[in-house]
Amino acid sequence: MEERLKLLSRAMQAGTVAVAVAGIVTGNLTWVPAAIIALFISFIPSILRRDLKITLPIELNFWIVLALFLHVVGGFSGFYDSIPGWDHLTHMMSSSLIGALGFVMVVIVDKYVKSIYLPRPFLSFFIVMFTMAMGVLWELMEFANDSLAHTQLQYGLTDTMVDLLFDGIAGFIVAIFGVQYLLRVSADHFVDSLHVDEAKDKIVDYLQKRRDSV
Amino acid sequence: MAARSRTSSLLTAITPEAIIEAELSWIASLVLFFATVYTVLKLDVLWAAFGIAAISLYVLPIISMRNPFRALPWEMTILLAAPMLLHISSGSGIMLEHFGWWRHLTDLAFALSLATIGLLLTVELQMYTDVRMNRPFAMLFVVMFTMGISGLWQVGEYIGDVVNHAHNLTSNRQVMMSFVWVLVGGMLMGFVYDLYLKAISENRKRTLGLIHLWEVPKWKKD
Repeated sequence: MEERLKLLSRAMQAGTVAVAVAGIVTGNLTWVPAAIIALFISFIPSILRRDLKITLPIELNFWIVLALFLHVVGGFSGFYDSIPGWDHLTHMMSSSLIGALGFVMVVIVDKYVKSIYLPRPFLSFFIVMFTMAMGVLWELMEFANDSLAHTQLQYGLTDTMVDLLFDGIAGFIVAIFGVQYLLRVSADHFVDSLHVDEAKDKIVDYLQKRRDSV
Repeated sequence: MAARSRTSSLLTAITPEAIIEAELSWIASLVLFFATVYTVLKLDVLWAAFGIAAISLYVLPIISMRNPFRALPWEMTILLAAPMLLHISSGSGIMLEHFGWWRHLTDLAFALSLATIGLLLTVELQMYTDVRMNRPFAMLFVVMFTMGISGLWQVGEYIGDVVNHAHNLTSNRQVMMSFVWVLVGGMLMGFVYDLYLKAISENRKRTLGLIHLWEVPKWKKD
């Protein structure tokens, strides 16, 4: 399972490269910057693992690559215009991703901050609120961009509301899966598997070295 | 006999100012109560849910401590009730028709009320469940809660519009502006409540018995 997900992630990264190359070759440059940025973002988990030893769960890693892949390939192939609901699909992918990252962060906070204790039911409630709040912030950002830079990111009331509806659904899904995940793998084990401790040591080491060298 | 002496000692401990404060709080809560009854009778689902949630959070400490003076501070109760009152009053409806800025005012009132509910939730979760937060996390939660609920709220309004063929949400711009007010109001109240809890006098804290629980002081998990 793990190997297969890794392989699929690599295949999708290759697909993103293919979009960049195809764009340059055919002179269709609109999606080339997006492809390059997406490729860079999809390598951030690997960079984190190499330099800080932070290891995100394979599933989350896969989800990050998949969301970027669907956005870039869909954009390059014109799916945003030709397939109805494509923008809502990618929107839901990215909002569930943000919900999942929020989940990882809040579990880490719960583990490391002594004055905080967040039982699982509260955790799931928090994730729904977090995902929804981020969705609202996202729409506000689009709105600000449209008003100030006169772009056309928001298509109208219905489009925005459906986006928010999907944010809510994504939040619920992440909450359910996240809590299920914690039931299967205990929170302690989960945080250990992220290797946050090692990352902290590395950062402390680095800061210490810098202080010594000054 | 024992119960009687407890009651009398309870009453002598309460100053006239505390009685006036509690009365103000009860009056504001009655406004909230009747507004909720009204929305329930009108099958105004979202607002009825809002009112029921607010009232539940208001009466929970009073009932659990069996002491009517453990009511929410009156200023917070007024904030809690304000958007309900603005929503149902026909005077507010007339203002809305004539003045564009009135909508911003109602949006802001809604945001302040949501933030108050969020604060009450952090307090009562720590009173009645195992949840523990420190102050920065509680502030973050209040802001998240305000924005998250308002997002779900607008989706609910939209679904209501589609189901009833109504047009309560007129434009994308209107919804976005209400989000702007929610963002402003939520963040503002995150900080205001932090300062408020620091500024409130020790005496009052003791009478209210509720408000010091924004966080449980010196709580540490092992």
